Amino acid sequence: MEIPYNSTQRPDTGLYNAKVGIWLFLASEVMLFGALFSAYVLLRVGASPGTWSMGLMNIPVGTFNTVILILSSVTVVMAWASLKLGDFKAYKKYQIATILCAAAFVLVKWSYEWPAKFTHYDVTFKDATAAKDYFVAAYGDNHSKQVTKIAKDRYNDPELQITQVPLSGHIVGYKVKGDTHVHDVGKVMNIWNGAWFWRINWQDTNMVALNCPKDITAVILHADGADDDHAKPQHAKTASLSTDAHSGAGSKHHGVEIPVSRIKRLSSLEPAHSPFFAIYFTLTGLHALHVLGGIVVLSYNLLPIGTRLWLKDPDRFANRIETTGLFWHFVDLVWIFLFPILYLL
Amino acid sequence: MSDHHASPEYYHGLIKKFKAVGYTLIIATLVTVGIDYFVEKYEVSFPKALAFAMLVAVIKASCVIAVFMHLWWDIKWKTISITMACTFFFFAAMMYLTITSVNDVPGLDNSYRKLPGQAEHSALADK
Amino acid sequence: MQTATHTEVHHDDHSHAEQSFWTKYIFSTDHKVIGIQYGVTALVFLLFGFGLMMAMRWQIAKPDQPIPVIGALLESVLGNVAKDGIISAQLYNVFGAMHGTIMVFMAIVPLGFAAFGNYIVPLQIGAPDMCFPRVNMASFWAFFLGCVTMTVSFFIPGGAAQAGWTSYSPLATSLPTDGQTYWLVAMVLLITSSLLGAVNFIATIIQLRAPGMTWGRLPFFVWAQFVTAFLLLLAFPPLEAAGVMQLMDKVAGTSFFLPTGLFISGQPATISGGGSPLLWQHLFWFLGHPEVYVLILPAIGIVTEVIANSTRRPVWGYRLMVGAVLVLGFLSFIVWAHHMYLTGMGNKVATFFQTTTMIISIPSVILLTCLFMSLWKGAIRFTTASMFAFSFLPMFGIGGLTGLPLGFNFTDIHLHDSYYVIAHFHYVVAPGTIFGLFAGVYYWYPKMTGRKMSEYWGKVHFWCSLIFMNLIFLPMFKQGFDGMSRRMSDGGATYASGEGVLGLAAESIMTNTIISHAAWGLAIAQVPFIVNFFWSIRNGEKVTSDNPWNSTTLEWQTPTPPPHGNFITQPVVYRDAYEYSKPGASKDYLPQNEKV
Ligand code: HEM
Ligand SMILES: [Cu+2]
Repeated sequence: MEIPYNSTQRPDTGLYNAKVGIWLFLASEVMLFGALFSAYVLLRVGASPGTWSMGLMNIPVGTFNTVILILSSVTVVMAWASLKLGDFKAYKKYQIATILCAAAFVLVKWSYEWPAKFTHYDVTFKDATAAKDYFVAAYGDNHSKQVTKIAKDRYNDPELQITQVPLSGHIVGYKVKGDTHVHDVGKVMNIWNGAWFWRINWQDTNMVALNCPKDITAVILHADGADDDHAKPQHAKTASLSTDAHSGAGSKHHGVEIPVSRIKRLSSLEPAHSPFFAIYFTLTGLHALHVLGGIVVLSYNLLPIGTRLWLKDPDRFANRIETTGLFWHFVDLVWIFLFPILYLL
Repeated sequence: MSDHHASPEYYHGLIKKFKAVGYTLIIATLVTVGIDYFVEKYEVSFPKALAFAMLVAVIKASCVIAVFMHLWWDIKWKTISITMACTFFFFAAMMYLTITSVNDVPGLDNSYRKLPGQAEHSALADK
Repeated sequence: MQTATHTEVHHDDHSHAEQSFWTKYIFSTDHKVIGIQYGVTALVFLLFGFGLMMAMRWQIAKPDQPIPVIGALLESVLGNVAKDGIISAQLYNVFGAMHGTIMVFMAIVPLGFAAFGNYIVPLQIGAPDMCFPRVNMASFWAFFLGCVTMTVSFFIPGGAAQAGWTSYSPLATSLPTDGQTYWLVAMVLLITSSLLGAVNFIATIIQLRAPGMTWGRLPFFVWAQFVTAFLLLLAFPPLEAAGVMQLMDKVAGTSFFLPTGLFISGQPATISGGGSPLLWQHLFWFLGHPEVYVLILPAIGIVTEVIANSTRRPVWGYRLMVGAVLVLGFLSFIVWAHHMYLTGMGNKVATFFQTTTMIISIPSVILLTCLFMSLWKGAIRFTTASMFAFSFLPMFGIGGLTGLPLGFNFTDIHLHDSYYVIAHFHYVVAPGTIFGLFAGVYYWYPKMTGRKMSEYWGKVHFWCSLIFMNLIFLPMFKQGFDGMSRRMSDGGATYASGEGVLGLAAESIMTNTIISHAAWGLAIAQVPFIVNFFWSIRNGEKVTSDNPWNSTTLEWQTPTPPPHGNFITQPVVYRDAYEYSKPGASKDYLPQNEKV
């Protein structure tokens, strides 16, 4: 039994089967991402001043990823055109280039952008005195300038007061009940190190954390931009910093010791941090899953198991590459919208 | 893609277009980022920035759909684009409704509200 | 035809000799096997979901009394939630949520859309199989995994999901058990399955119609499935997105649907807040309303086939019906918020949705009217299948008409979340859709097995089901008017002694007992069906031709049961779908592939 119109077009519709299938699938994908986009809009429109914590995106990296994805879109369509010209070698070349671009995209996300968020902490304080104390401890005389900077850069709202903005930076150490010395947060083993998923809420002082003791009394925070040597500590160089913290906990340059009792909320820039990061991780995560799926299919079309169809039925193989390409362009398309709404606006 | 144009010249012509669109997209991306810089520097209003960024995104998307996904030359491009347009219409209607439904009744939105007696609030407050 | 069957059997033996049991029956890519797999799984879950409701009806009729026999069983399997064989409020909620979920997503949709659609659509359009057979198989196995996940969730600590089939946040998110997480994972699998199925159906109908099978000649069942597939394709993804977000709320601590200032059990919740509970409802009902048409359209399709066949005359207003079903499909996307009038979502929006809701009842009425008109002057044959199909009409009529008061927001204020709503939608899906599906089972059974089901027991099944169904759901309208709320684990006993507006009339609560007895009666009425179904596979009356009902559509022009690849020679279509009793013809039906 043979299913018709797999390699040729049906005369009255002018399409082969897989093309109908992929366009329908893309229609459903439009609705999937559409729903998430509308969630984004709804959450953003409903957010009150000082809660849309957006300004921490790394725009150069985002731009790099956008360009890479556009390049891969060019190569994937070139791969198909090469097949149509009967040039299998060129097809292979372009397809490999596509996969490399895709892999680079995921790699940047996985090893740089996401961990940078998970290792970056925000602390808000129970009262104005505490907030002032620790902003001063971290930035000295510069503290009010710093507050305005955070208010503007992060929340796009220069009016915010000291109690409304978080003190943010990297956690370099912590203290445990009954102990006086500072514990390391861990050795720098990989880029995700220091991503502890720590979260404290004053209501129950329960700490949500992995691999860390429950009865923490204080954390040592190295605030962003507090030390010129570590002006941009995007991913935690914790090993060296924690030694500093050891010697001078509470010193304004290497880390501020903040007792848990004065903290209202402590959270890394994980999904639970705020609606912005919730939607940021959901959208980019789902998009990255699509990229990964694309890599799997693209690789299948390169390996012998996929390419033997080229020898058997070149038309059908070209169709398959075309449909894969259509999916891939869609992934690019989604990113074209994600980039401005998550990074720029 | 139509089989009527199956000659090699046709595909060579296409390849030129693909490359041209590729450059356009990259330039458009850089323009958006550049504009973002100006927004910050000269404090352009948010709605204007939004409108511009979305305009660029829609232009980029149309290029991808028309050329890379070669809907432009497909014999049945009408069928496909009508289907996609319908999909998009649903999506837009949905956005519109969900948003209007929030601002319609005052006090019934998900915005941040002060509880009585609460003097100040924090950015990441739980209350 | 008989000779044709022989050649085909031979051919079949030859080309599939190497097919093992596994590839032929378990991991099959044949649309008919997949259809039957879907059908059997769905029937099992239909029975299971029904069983849950039986237990709940006991608790409603006799609050806090132990269930005989079953109670002990429940206690031994589920433990403390069924202590002493009594259904606790928690277990009641579990059963209620799972009843809804199972019935909608794991019984009716897979039966109407996936099972009948898979088996019948390729046959009716003259295709050798679905467009993408392997995607079809993937669709079934995704469905199956979803079902397993959902079933397993009964046995985890804390039990399955408890927040109703609608899973409103914050309730669904803040319950301390893991049931909701399982529910969400299972739903994502079920949705994936439906999406794969929908893509496949639409592509098949567009691409694989036999020569001559123009759009105007498609049997109405195919049209109904076509629209249903579009509804699934475009309405399910938003729920998938919502499911992913609720899953994030549940496992990653986000606040998509959790507002600022939320208290859970008197404690301020330790979340960032800033989310919107309304967002969940919008996304859920954006699927939810199209979903109700996904439930009903396949049944309307089946009923149309059966009615045309058993009145021996063409369907009245075929083109009108096709137009109506297309309009219905489109409109069903813009009425969803009529489920949310009481959420305070805003007046402009409510007015908009009230208007669209009124408009959408027009195509529904057109469909129903056309089917009624088709009966006019027909030479009606009263088979079990046709009786189920005929009774579908008034039952769906009651269900649809009682939807109108719900669609006006001023009347909905009183009726919302009451037993009236329960009665409304059950009239549409229970005596409506399920009767349509029964009609389909009795009608197509001979094609699938080569034997007919017993007509005698079929009629017993029909009459008992009809009577009990109405005894169950008719009184619920009254209960709803009296103000009885849905989802009360004691059937309202708490309010029995209340005064004035708070109190429930004594007869409303007494009615509970009548309804529950009718429900158990309905359960007994299904025994003849189940026995008949299995008994007839081997012992039913053998059909003597490939077309025992003298039908015009293509599925009857194949060998019985159809082999892999379906048709012996490519069928060519020469005429419309329902050419019954054509003046001047030698017999009272002209198959679509018959040349003059
Ligand atoms: C033809 C016109 C119809 C109208 C005007 C209509 C209207 C409504 C309205 C306004 C509600 C919400 C009531 C409330 O919660 O207060 C509702 C609920 C419902 N309807 Fe319909 N309906 C119609 C047909 C159908 C059909 C064909 C089906 C299914 C096959 C259906 C299934 C349901 C279900 C399942 C619910 C309850 C959902 C829930 O809250 O759990 N309806 N209907
Ligand atoms: Cu509805």
